[in-house]
Amino acid sequence: MADPKMKFLVVDDFSTMRRIVRNLLKELGYSNVDEAEDGAMALTKLKNEQFDFVISDWNMPVMNGLDMLKSIRADAALAKLPVLMVTAEAKKENIIAAAQAGANGYVVKPFTAATLDEKLAKIFEKLEKVGA
Amino acid sequence: MDAARPVVTADAAADDPSPTQEALLARVGQMTRSLHDSLRGLDFDKLAARAAHDIPDARDRLDYVARMTEQAAQKVLNATEAASPLQERIGGGARSLAQQWRQALDGDGAATPLAGATLAYLEQTAGDSDLTRQQLMDIMMAQDFQDLTGQVIRKVTELAHGLEQQLVQLLVDYAPGDLKREAQGGLLNGPQINPGASPDVVADQTQVDDLLESLGF
Repeated sequence: MADPKMKFLVVDDFSTMRRIVRNLLKELGYSNVDEAEDGAMALTKLKNEQFDFVISDWNMPVMNGLDMLKSIRADAALAKLPVLMVTAEAKKENIIAAAQAGANGYVVKPFTAATLDEKLAKIFEKLEKVGA
Repeated sequence: MDAARPVVTADAAADDPSPTQEALLARVGQMTRSLHDSLRGLDFDKLAARAAHDIPDARDRLDYVARMTEQAAQKVLNATEAASPLQERIGGGARSLAQQWRQALDGDGAATPLAGATLAYLEQTAGDSDLTRQQLMDIMMAQDFQDLTGQVIRKVTELAHGLEQQLVQLLVDYAPGDLKREAQGGLLNGPQINPGASPDVVADQTQVDDLLESLGF
């Protein structure tokens, strides 16, 4: 299991979903969680504070999750940050576009607590392999 | 001079309007004519006023649904967030007391029936509170409907707004102009209402995983 102190940023325009993800993370042992309402707000936070993991929606006003992901990958300081997309966008072209933009994982809403847990574990596992 | 005629036909063939397209255009033409005739038979001002009034009214109603469901979801989340730590405390306390009772009784619950019953109750309480916390998690997860229905409502509201503008414009112009509407879509389609119906949409997380795996993830 990854460091329980690691800091998550949950990005979603629906506060209900932000709360759900925050609660799920808490249940999984991660209580260091901040939130952002859209991609632009998230980027501002990411540039000013240290985060270890981003969980983001796709369809949001101002800046959507895919554009945010591209900006993260294009920024040398943030490029390595793990990003898990959690979105209702369920077209194959969406999943391919997210993968090509550098997403570390993709979860389609509605999802279960077990799915989130599993995807997080898989990403941590891969990161450890890369880091080792 | 008639020799020039076939050239026109050839040009038309080069454009290659498929039979379905022709049928569609004919149908749109009929609808436009019928609409035109209906409009002629009606009081334009009244119709324009009704269109301008009814669609915003429908949008208001949808906004209301979105607002009310969000409030309800927030209330549920408030309650589950408040109840979950209480259940944790109940379970933790019961577990700790049960442990102390077990040591005090030293495996001989039958010697003091009341103490034995107390121990059994504490153990059951610990188990029950775990199950209750699990149920609270399920209740919390179920509130994700608000995000999903909210996105669908937002899309329908946008659609109604577009329709309203077009209708009003149509009535203002009274010319059945080009009613082509750019197909919405691209990469922002929101929750799939009927995932099985379309081949380019994934129906569950397994399919997402399979697709990602095929991409080397």
